Amino acid sequence: MTTSLTDTPTDREPRPSNKQPRFKFGRVVLFVVMIGIAIVMLYPFWVMIATSLMSSAQFLSGGGFSFESWTSLTATIPVGQEVLSSTIICTSSILIILLIGLPAGFAFSKLRFRMSTLVFLGIVSAMMVPLQAILMPEFVNVTRLGLTGGYAGAVLVYAALGTPFSVFLFTTYFRGVPDELIEAGIVDGLGYFGALWRLVVPIAIPAIATVTVLQFIQIWDDLLVGLLFIQNTGERPITVGLAVLAAGRTTSIPQLMAGSFISALPAMVVYLVFQRFLVKGLTMGIDR
Amino acid sequence: MADITFDGVTKVFGDDIRAVDNLSLQVADGEFMVLVGPSGCGKTTALRMLAGLEEITSGTLSIGGAVMNNVLPKDRDVAMVFQNYALYPHMSVAQNMGFALKIRGESKPEIERKVLEAATILHLTDYLDRRPKALSGGQRQRVAMGRAIVRSPRAFLMDEPLSNLDAQLRVEMRLEIARIQRLLGVATVYVTHDQIEAMTMGDRVAVMRGGKLQQVATPQDLYDHPANEFVAGFTGSPPMNLLRAHLENVDTMSTLVLGRQRLEVPAQYAASHDLPDSGAEIVFGIRPEDVEVLTHDEAYDSITTRVERREALGSEILVHLSLLDAGDTNTFVVTDAGSLVARPTTLVAKMGPRADVKAGDTLSVRFASDNFHFFDATTGLSLRHQTTSMATA
Repeated sequence: MTTSLTDTPTDREPRPSNKQPRFKFGRVVLFVVMIGIAIVMLYPFWVMIATSLMSSAQFLSGGGFSFESWTSLTATIPVGQEVLSSTIICTSSILIILLIGLPAGFAFSKLRFRMSTLVFLGIVSAMMVPLQAILMPEFVNVTRLGLTGGYAGAVLVYAALGTPFSVFLFTTYFRGVPDELIEAGIVDGLGYFGALWRLVVPIAIPAIATVTVLQFIQIWDDLLVGLLFIQNTGERPITVGLAVLAAGRTTSIPQLMAGSFISALPAMVVYLVFQRFLVKGLTMGIDR
Repeated sequence: MADITFDGVTKVFGDDIRAVDNLSLQVADGEFMVLVGPSGCGKTTALRMLAGLEEITSGTLSIGGAVMNNVLPKDRDVAMVFQNYALYPHMSVAQNMGFALKIRGESKPEIERKVLEAATILHLTDYLDRRPKALSGGQRQRVAMGRAIVRSPRAFLMDEPLSNLDAQLRVEMRLEIARIQRLLGVATVYVTHDQIEAMTMGDRVAVMRGGKLQQVATPQDLYDHPANEFVAGFTGSPPMNLLRAHLENVDTMSTLVLGRQRLEVPAQYAASHDLPDSGAEIVFGIRPEDVEVLTHDEAYDSITTRVERREALGSEILVHLSLLDAGDTNTFVVTDAGSLVARPTTLVAKMGPRADVKAGDTLSVRFASDNFHFFDATTGLSLRHQTTSMATA
């Protein structure tokens, strides 16, 4: 028995070449399935783009090509202003989420303090509470604070909703960072904030990207919070703008599609730019 | 001057886990002190307290005469080398080495000069722009050393820095670290569980077990005069043979009774040791190299044994021998947990590489009469008259 264990490397036959066709067949099947999935995923975008390139009349008659809905869109709703509002809301919320999530994740994973597990569980369990369940009390609170007019109320609500997930993700990620790395930094002269900022954050780019992308998509696409908490028409986000468009007495479907495309674009761009980090961030811990 | 003093330092984890128990130890400026012991003996905790990474429960720790108990790690001016190197993965070798200086606010040219100086000592000049990921284990280890060196700290703290290297590289780096330490003359506390590292590198070696300091001595002193059974059984490879025996005193003559065999104790030991009264139990220790295998049978002071096992190491053969007619005599080995474990009466001897010996053979052995060791059967302490080498808590 011992000989078979020791001489396997030299005795092993070269890899048989008849494996090649099976390997290729598997690839073909995989490709077909993936193309199918891609079609299902891309079809709505195709419909959106194709429909937006028609006038209302052309849409109803079922054919034609026109830029009319695009040119009239800006006259109907202030698209530029709304995209800017969405950007401001998204950026501010994500910044708050990161600024709270990073130190909290660091503290929960690397510092020893009383009841840390309990507090962590409390924060993480907040992920299970749906927005709809706390919408009313939240609205009352924000109204009492006098923040329902502009961005501030919505930003706070989004930040509160996104923070538990970011704390959870950063905590799990930082648990994989060896303690010695931080200790080395501390012996080298850093404090805890220095270690977090100069050692941990640079390593945590994948996790930061994950939180950013997921939160961006969620906040950018959200309608409910924007609709309720932003009452100044000049500060409402693109989703609310589209809802206004859809709720009009005569809704132009091509115009709605043009608006939807503009609304969907940033989320797609952000996703595509960060996707290589995203995969790494979501699967982290698996291959350690 | 930057000597290090542990004065009754204790570390308690939770409510009752005493990781380090009343440790008193002095490391002179420029001295290479090795803390050695089995895992869980408290050596790493002691080092971490010195670095400031672990709070001290009680006692005083001072560096260069100043009490350090409540001083932050960054203000202690000590550099630490970690077991897994803990290199900053997002920085180049040069940035890794210069990081502490950068934090300290030194000028860029100054940092570059110091990094280059350290890199030259460590033969790292060709790798300064690489990331840690692109380095071999040995190179990473050297970068970790370099990070400590550039700071010109008051003390180097090293936590098993060689344990992740392969055997050959470990021997190389062992010499390298010892060379650099002597070159720089900085007080060094080096933690290891490997007694060979301890013996070869340290100016002095502190043996720990169960949080307690067992003995502090030069490597040779530790080897020649272990303070207790544990130290005797920990040092040397293979370690000292420890046999449980009875002592019989007739007039001024003492005799060891090993089962049904008897061994005369040379008269010199009565003067240098506190041998117990007749009939008392005693632990007799003899190093494997002090066990001489006789080619002819039956010398008057020999012991008859049977070969149980032979291990050919190339340069020598280790033979595991059992005493004939051992009766119910057992050797007791103290485990890390502190409990006594009985073993059949066996001892290990070293023989030449060509020795013709096989399992089952009967061999007569003689013990080198100058190198007997005696330990108290209950406390495990050496019965040798106490000297300065003794330093139990």
